[in-house]
Amino acid sequence: MSTVTTVGAPSVSSPTKRPTAARRRRGRRRLWSWLRGVTIAVVCLLVALPIIWMIAAAFKTNVQVTDPSVGLVFSPTLENFRNAFADGAILGSMLNSLIVGVLSTVLSAILAVPAAWAVGRFSMGRTGSLVLVARIVPAISLLVPWYYLFAQIGLVGSYTVLVLSHMFVAVPLILWIMIGFFEGLPIELEEAARTDGLSAFGSFLRIALPLAAPGTAAAAVLAFIGSWNNFMFALILADENTLTMPVTLFNFISYASTDWGGLMAAATLMTVPVILAAIFGQRYLVAGLTAGATKG
Amino acid sequence: MTMPSSRPSSWRAHGTPAHVVSRRSFGALAAAAAGAATLSACSSGPRTADPNAPLRIMAINHVWSQAIAEYLPEFEEQIGRRVSMRLLTADQLSNSYNVKLNASATDIDVMMVRALQEQILFTRNGWLADLTDRVEGDAAYDWADFQEAPRERSITAGTVVSVPIVTERPALYYRRDLLEDFGGAPATLDEMLEISLELADRNNGFFGYVGRGQRSGAVTQWSSFLYSFGGDFTIDGESGIGTPEAIAAYEFYGRLLAETGPPGVTNMSLEQAMPIFAQGKAAFYIDADAIYSNFLDPGISTVIDTVGFAPFPAGPAGSVPHNIPSWSLGINRFSLLQDDAWEFIRWISGPEMVARLQAGGIPGARQSAWDDQATLTSFPEDLAESMRVNAENGKGTDRPDVIQVGRARDIVGRPLVAGITGASVPPVAADADSEFSDFLIRDNRQREF
Repeated sequence: MSTVTTVGAPSVSSPTKRPTAARRRRGRRRLWSWLRGVTIAVVCLLVALPIIWMIAAAFKTNVQVTDPSVGLVFSPTLENFRNAFADGAILGSMLNSLIVGVLSTVLSAILAVPAAWAVGRFSMGRTGSLVLVARIVPAISLLVPWYYLFAQIGLVGSYTVLVLSHMFVAVPLILWIMIGFFEGLPIELEEAARTDGLSAFGSFLRIALPLAAPGTAAAAVLAFIGSWNNFMFALILADENTLTMPVTLFNFISYASTDWGGLMAAATLMTVPVILAAIFGQRYLVAGLTAGATKG
Repeated sequence: MTMPSSRPSSWRAHGTPAHVVSRRSFGALAAAAAGAATLSACSSGPRTADPNAPLRIMAINHVWSQAIAEYLPEFEEQIGRRVSMRLLTADQLSNSYNVKLNASATDIDVMMVRALQEQILFTRNGWLADLTDRVEGDAAYDWADFQEAPRERSITAGTVVSVPIVTERPALYYRRDLLEDFGGAPATLDEMLEISLELADRNNGFFGYVGRGQRSGAVTQWSSFLYSFGGDFTIDGESGIGTPEAIAAYEFYGRLLAETGPPGVTNMSLEQAMPIFAQGKAAFYIDADAIYSNFLDPGISTVIDTVGFAPFPAGPAGSVPHNIPSWSLGINRFSLLQDDAWEFIRWISGPEMVARLQAGGIPGARQSAWDDQATLTSFPEDLAESMRVNAENGKGTDRPDVIQVGRARDIVGRPLVAGITGASVPPVAADADSEFSDFLIRDNRQREF
């Protein structure tokens, strides 16, 4: 018996110790997992709260919007959207934003993607830095000379001037995203193409560019979002026929009052295309922005 | 065929034929081309307006601008030219003027300006056309019909540079239902404070008094308190904000908001304070009479049936509110359509249109319109009376009369915030007084037209 007891003692105590340690590990994992979940939830809430507030306010009356006791439980109204669409200015400016955003993004990509390839492949670091100056200089400081020049050649108020000014911001953005992307592509592929008879530009066009499609898409989405939200250039350089959405939003703010409901309805409408662009471009955005991160 | 080596740098050497323009040369050529284009554009000589160009008005998004939109076809028919009006917020309007007029823009003809905020600066910069001969040389226009205080504010450096179109005074907005037991609206500031203290139930979200508490934004409304305590922003060209009268006004306003006002009031300007009264959460609110319609709009207000309007209550020096031209019209000196721009101003600020607009609820600057009872029928009776009384007692400015008004408001507003936050006002006022004195010396030096 004593043997059984002696032998049995460790055999009983050992299994009890091991589950305790495992339980502790499981407990720690559960705690970390719980903490991680809470942190993610808090961060998501902080990011989403303004958007939730904006969407909720779009369906409230102005009395409800400015009354803090009215939270997310209220009788919704579509009146704000009806008013926002009533004068046609919102639709017109959305179209203008779309035209300027698409044109400036496409033209910027046409210029910046080959430039990024050249900077990446031919070690033109100084040229790349020079282009970056456009992002460093505050846009407001450029507006007076721009306005003067464009007014002299009769371009103020046209789509051309808006597209050109937005390109000034978009080209460096696309260029710098794409430089990293091209540097991450194996050079041997292009060398092989050159061996097979392609010119340098041909190897870019047929080999590097298709491989860089995710990066181009990511850069284009970011450039489009930047253009879509740009306020300052349209404020100064557009006229009543070419005003873009961010400026038109201010129609809801007057000297003595603000139509919060109308403003939030218009802001919701303005946000939808950006959210759609982000959702559809998400796959490319992640791939594009992380490309080159593991280079070397 | 020479093949590229494995390193990209050798591609450049391989692929750059001798006859191709180098990057440096290309840059020089591009700069020369841009310079030539600029010079040719700049040297195009005197320009004339396109006969089909519209008359461009830049205006603030204001009830005045919205009201005149329906009358514009009449004017277009009169001058045979299309009118294009762009509406912006006050800050955007200011930014647009600063950028465009710095570049001598010709795509603005009529400018809506804040005579008290930016007229001196704009005149100093040479952006506003001289209207003296136009206003004084036209008997039918009757320049003398404009109220004296707004008319005086139209003159900078001896010349008329703007014409007042909208005037403002402070109104005391109060809850008639709550004031019945107190015998109606208070006649003095002390009475108002006493009632505010009695009615305030801050723990349950009801406030005695709500008003602007933001450092710069509150200065214009506080000016009526300052004047009614016997003070002024400047006295004989020197800072007046360190005087006993100014300190008393600072302390009174601070106590009113600190003890009976809502929390976070130092972050409140018109946009934040007005909704609190409109939602029935305060007994008193003093702000511009131009915003009265907000309290009568069922989409915004819950006090439509209970709001009352009264003249500014009297302080130790009586009731001395401001009576200012909040918005005026000027002509861009670079405009190619200055005659048409004047025709527009002459039409919209003429006796007939001012009376029509005032009858629609927009207080103008012409005495003839105020004398005509028919133009006051659109206002609630007690508001019309309050406007009349305040206009009679009013001073023509609500902020320091300087070039850099924004900076001056920041300095003047500092003791105001100290009073609201419960700090001792006299030392802060003394410090602000010293800073304001230095500021006035520098500002005066810049007043060279």
